[in-house]
This record gives sequence, structure tokens and C-alpha cells, in this order.
Amino acid sequence: MEAVKGRFGLRAQVFVKKIWREYSVLVVFIVIIGICGLFAPRFLHPDNLLNILRNTSIVGAIALGMTFIIIAGGIDLSSGAVLATSGAVLILLQRMVNPDGSAVVPLPFAILACCAVAVGFGFVNGIIITQAKLPPFIVTLAIGILARSVTMYFCRGATIMGNNIPQFTDIGNGSVFNIPIPFIIIIVLAIIFHIVLTRSKFGTYVFAVGGNESASRFSGIKVNRVRIATYMIGGLCTGIAATIEMSRMAAVAATTSGNQYEFEAITAVLVGGTSLVGGRGRLVGTIVGFIILGIVNNMMIMLNILPYLSGAVKGAFILFAVLLQKRER
Amino acid sequence: MSTTFSMQGIRKSFFGVEVLHGVDFAVERGQIMALCGENGAGKSTLMRILAGIYVQDSGTILLNGAPVRRYSTPLEMQKLGVSMIHQELNLIGELTVAQNIFLCREPKNGKGLINFNRMNENAALVLERLGETIDPKCRVGDLKTAQKQMVEIAKAISFDVNLLIMDEPTSMLTGKETRVLFDLITNLSAQGIAIVYISHRLKEIIDVCHQVTVLRDGSVVATRRVSEVSAHDIAALMVGREVKEECADNFAGDPAALILEVKDVSDELLKNVGFSLRKGEILGFSGLVGAGRSELMEVIFGIRKPKTGRVLVEGKSVTVKSAIDAIKSDLGFVTEDRKETGLVLCRDITENSNYVFWRKTRGFFKGKKTTSENTERMISRLSIRCSGPDQMVSSLSGGNQQKVALAKWLLSDAKVLVLDEPTRGVDVGARQEIYRIIRDLAAEGVAIVIVSSDLPEVMGICQRVIIMHEGRITGELCASELSEEKIMYYATDV
Repeated sequence: MEAVKGRFGLRAQVFVKKIWREYSVLVVFIVIIGICGLFAPRFLHPDNLLNILRNTSIVGAIALGMTFIIIAGGIDLSSGAVLATSGAVLILLQRMVNPDGSAVVPLPFAILACCAVAVGFGFVNGIIITQAKLPPFIVTLAIGILARSVTMYFCRGATIMGNNIPQFTDIGNGSVFNIPIPFIIIIVLAIIFHIVLTRSKFGTYVFAVGGNESASRFSGIKVNRVRIATYMIGGLCTGIAATIEMSRMAAVAATTSGNQYEFEAITAVLVGGTSLVGGRGRLVGTIVGFIILGIVNNMMIMLNILPYLSGAVKGAFILFAVLLQKRER
Repeated sequence: MSTTFSMQGIRKSFFGVEVLHGVDFAVERGQIMALCGENGAGKSTLMRILAGIYVQDSGTILLNGAPVRRYSTPLEMQKLGVSMIHQELNLIGELTVAQNIFLCREPKNGKGLINFNRMNENAALVLERLGETIDPKCRVGDLKTAQKQMVEIAKAISFDVNLLIMDEPTSMLTGKETRVLFDLITNLSAQGIAIVYISHRLKEIIDVCHQVTVLRDGSVVATRRVSEVSAHDIAALMVGREVKEECADNFAGDPAALILEVKDVSDELLKNVGFSLRKGEILGFSGLVGAGRSELMEVIFGIRKPKTGRVLVEGKSVTVKSAIDAIKSDLGFVTEDRKETGLVLCRDITENSNYVFWRKTRGFFKGKKTTSENTERMISRLSIRCSGPDQMVSSLSGGNQQKVALAKWLLSDAKVLVLDEPTRGVDVGARQEIYRIIRDLAAEGVAIVIVSSDLPEVMGICQRVIIMHEGRITGELCASELSEEKIMYYATDV
């Protein structure tokens, strides 16, 4: 009897271990939601939950692109500033109105221009990193500073209001069947990216380049092109994030738009279990990661935590989340 | 005459394989002792034990007849007067010459800070002893290779040195610099310092050393006075093991079916190297470490850019600028270091074996069905032992990892397959399997180049062997002419 029990215990242990290894992010996720509901019953109200999804979509978009970059062994510290620059382009184009009230640049083109600017920054990041063989950390940091400065120059350091028309503001503020439009955009993007990452050759090369650059090169993979492509994907995501952010605010603030978003995005990716060393990671993890961050932000409002202390709570929480789902190596 | 250092009955195992089987070794005051042997004979291991880097499993080290404490650290051995200069330079490029010489032993002033003036003066004194005029304040990164070597020696003798071990000190030096080094060695020996000189260059040994100890497969086979032996004798002693029964036959295919021709490849290391290869032939490249064999293969594969040289595949000249060009010309390259350049360890067998296949085929998606069929086929053909195609490559054994690296190129349908050290770190069983796969491939018409430092391996499988020495081809033998002595003769270029 004892023996049977022992074997069953061992089996259960193996099973739990396997579940933990594969789905630790989800487990942490559910535990967090449970705890939050316990502390603040209002938290579980559908309106609040949907609100979290809406708020978290902007950093979420950046985090999706960042996942590609980090898996390929890079990092992008310019995202927040690039969001401001491309957002400024969008606002400046969008507010130009003909005397008869129609837009000079149709909205879709303005959005395309915004995304193109962000992709362009990604391309520049990638080119410098691969051709000059400089560390991504330094290159993207410098490009970020540069982008922020350019934004402030174009906006003369001020906040510029956009044209407050519903077609524009609905992108960030509207809902379809009660589901926030930004979150729908993110989910569509995530599904496409997930397929690219897991089913396409390119996706596999991203993992290979991050896992072992020389082995990839010896296998005929064009390492530099893959690297540059990841930064351009990151740029595209930043452009989409900029569109959502600008639409929500209908304004761009030269100094504060997108500030620190790159760190929130990187945090989301890491909380989601993607390794900073490169070569491994999952997009699903990133989604859970940025939703967890959104929940933390939301809870601090719910629990009336002083804004001065929110950073301390967030920092401690991130450490806790990463420690909880740390894999045994 | 008093013995300065002696080692008695030294045994050492790595991962359960004994590499030193009770070695006795002694070197006297002022003596220059050469230590010879093939790659993997145990020379470096033995000397690392003497320098305190490794700890012997059994046996004792004696200093003037008194046993030295086991588990002595390199620093403790240095205090007893043993210094070792490693094959690769161990200097910090960003620090000055003086900082490198006195690393971790910097003279301090009263406040506990480094006394740079005294350090530079001391460094100048040590360098003077070597007859060198390098500025101690110079950044090591700005020095030439020979000067760096001098700094290494200065660092070694800055301890009150009684025994200096030099592991292949001339492998990076030019002829002139080598002569300067020899003068220095003779000079140091006249000062009463004992020297152990590890080298593959038998001529140098004859020129500069007093005695020679030859190691083979972890045992001492002979210790002779250099005046009593020739370079030939040393080469014969190094190889001396019973030649294996198993020997490949000469190439029996069509001698006109040339598939790969390499002409006039030259760069800093390689000098006018050229060879040709026929369909279904197994060609070996032999030589000592640093002969330029791997570098030649990297040129063919587009990883290394030569100054001159042409590659022809099936009679057509091809431009190979990167690996993908080589892949498109149906060349394959299983690299020497599978962990560094062969495999992406954190990914699974499926991905690792299909990378080149995916590069060679069109389409955006991987194609789940073809991919998994490919992998299954390779797992059964190469008998890769794994829990399934989704097992991470890092958790496979060395032999199975090597098979995955091989699978990557088999799936690419390469017509020419270069295998650099195909059985390094592979256990005996898997080794035989890899040989079988190589023979099968050749029988199917794939031309194979094997770069190997393992002589029995070369003898057992290659139908023709080209031997290189310092970037040049020094000999070519077909299977019926092969003997280990002959290969070693060409490899050391005596």
C-alpha cells in the first residue's frame, strides 16, 4: 500500500514539475488574479478587467516586437522615444486640415507614415548593430536619445493637439462587442507573430541566431538580415503602439509620450519567460507578461497606493514574478 | 648533479578516461628538456599538473627530493619556482606591460594603493634580464605578438623562477623571433633555470634542447640525449604504437570524375595550397595543430577570405563569399567545434538538422510534414539515440550531437562533405558508427574530406591523405603507401 502511494506521489510530482516547467507563467498569472480579487473585489468587475486590457495594449504591442528582438539576442532601448517621434509624425499629419474641413493627408496614410517612421528607426538600429558590430544596448540607447530630441525639436518641446475626430479617437477608445479595439489589434498581431515565430523558417532562424550566431552563419543563415528584420518588426510594433497611444490622447507630448515604455515592454517579455541570453522564448509568455504588468498598475490604483511608492511596489513585484517562474537549469 | 624537479608515478583521468598512466619525469638545474608527443599524448596535462593547475589522481611531485604538498595551487607552485607559459597568450590587452607582469602582486605604498613607480621600475628590471627594451608603461594590446611572448616570459621569470615550462612558445613567432627566443632560453639555462620545452617542431628541439622525453598515449616511451637522436628517431618514437590492422584501400572509382578542385589558396597562413577531389573519394588531411587544415576548409566554405585562390565544383569556377554560396554549390562542412559552430544547443533535434535544408528549399513556411519526415529519417539512418525529435541538442551525448551536426548536411544533399575532426569527443561505439556512415556516403558517390589529428583514424578510413605543415602541403600518400611514420615525417617537415 505504502509503495503504491509512493509511486503515485512520485508520478504526481513529475506531472506537477512538467506543468510547472511548461506553464509556470500561466500559473503565476492565475495566482495573481486570485490574490487581486481577494484584496480588491472591485478588481474582478468586467469593466475593470476590460479597462486593464485596453491600458496594457500600448506597452503590449511594443513587447510583442521586443520578443523577436530579445530572442535573436538583442535589445531595443529606443522604443519609447521612437513611439514619440512616430506619434508626432502622425499627429502633425493628422491635424493638417483643408479650409473645407477635410484632412490634407487621409488618416490611413498618416498611420502608414507613422509606422514607416518607426520601421525606419528599427532598420537604422539593425544596420548599425550588424554593420558596425556594436552592442545593441549602446546603439539603441543612442538612437533613443536622438529620436527623443528630434521629437522635441519638431514639437518645440510642447504638447501638440491632434484633430479630435471620432474616426481617429475610436482606434484607441472604441470597443467592438465590449472588447477594446486596441486589444483586438494586439491579439490579431500576436496570432500572426505566433505563426511566424513557430511555423515559418524565418521564425526558426530568429531562435537560431539568438542561440548560436556562428553555428547559424555556418548553416547558411544570413545572420545580419535576420537581426535587422527583428529590429524592423520591433519598429512596426512601436508604430502600431504609437497609433493607439496618439488616438487615445489625441495629442503628442514631446517630452513624456512613450517615456519608459521600452523598459515596461522588456519587463513584460522577461516576466513572460523569454531568456535575455537569446535563443528561447514564447510569444504567449509575453502576452501574459504584459497583462500581469497591467494588473499590477491597476491594483496600485485600486488599493490607493501612493504614486511615489508605486515604483517600489512594481519593482518588488517584477522580481517576485520572475523568481517564481524561474526555471531550474 | 642535483635533481631540481621530479614527478613520480603521475596518474590523471578526465571523465573516467585515464590520460596519464603513471608518468615519471625529471628535469635538472640548468637543463633544457624537450617534451614531445602527438596531439593528446598528455604533454600539456603533465605540465599543468607540475604547474599546479590540475591535481594528479596519484603520484608525487618532488622538489630536490622533498615531496610537494598535493593540491598546491598555481600560485603556490609559482612560489616554489615553477612558472608555465601557455600555448595561448594569457595577457590582458587593456593593461600595461608592468601591470600584466605584476598582476595580483602589485607593489603597494603605505596607503594600500598601487605604487606605480616601483612597479614600472621592477618591470624594467625583469625585461632587462631578458635583454628586452619594451616600455613597461606600454599597453600590451599595442605590442607585436613576439613582444607579447616576451612579456609572458618576463611575467614567468618575475617570480623567483627555478623551472620554466613553455608550451609551444614558437607557434606564433617568425623565424627571426624564434632565434631571439632560443638565445634567451640558452641564456636562462646558463643562469641555472631548468626549462621544459614542449614543441611539435623537432628541428627546434634538436637545435636548442639538451634532452628529450617522448610521451605516447599517456606514458613515457623514452628519454634520450638530443645529441644521440635524430629528428627521425623522435618522430618514430612519437608514433611507435602498433599500427592498426584496419586499413583503407586505395580509391577505386573513376579517377577522372573530379568534383572539387582547389587552386593556389594563399593568405597569411596558407601558402599556395591546392588539391583535387573525385566523386566518392575519401580524402584525409593530416598534420599537427596549427598546420592550417581547418583554415583551408574555412576558405573553401567561404568563412575565411583568402588573398588568392580558386574553387571549382564539377569543373565550374564558383565564387564562395559566405556559407550560403557554398551550400548552393552543394558543399557541406561539419565543423571542428560542434558546440561553437555546429549546433544551436538550446534548440531541438528537428530544428538543428533542418537548418540547411530550409535554406536550400523555397517557401516561407517550414513545412511541418517534410520537416518531421526529414528528422525521423535521419534519426533512424544515423541511429541517433534520443527521447524524440523534440529533444534539446544540449542534452544529447557527444556522439549523438555529432550525428545531428552530420544530419544537417545529409539533408542538404551535399556532393562534397568536409568533416573536421569528425570523432572528437565521441565515444568508441559512436565512432565506429560515424565511420560506417562516412563509408556508406562515399559509396553513394559523395566526395568526402576528413580533417583529423587522429592518425589511426586517418589510416583506417582515408583512401588518400594530404599532409600539411605550417600552411603548406608537404606530402601526399595513397592508402597503400600510408604509415604513421611517413605521416609524422611530413607533418613535422624534417
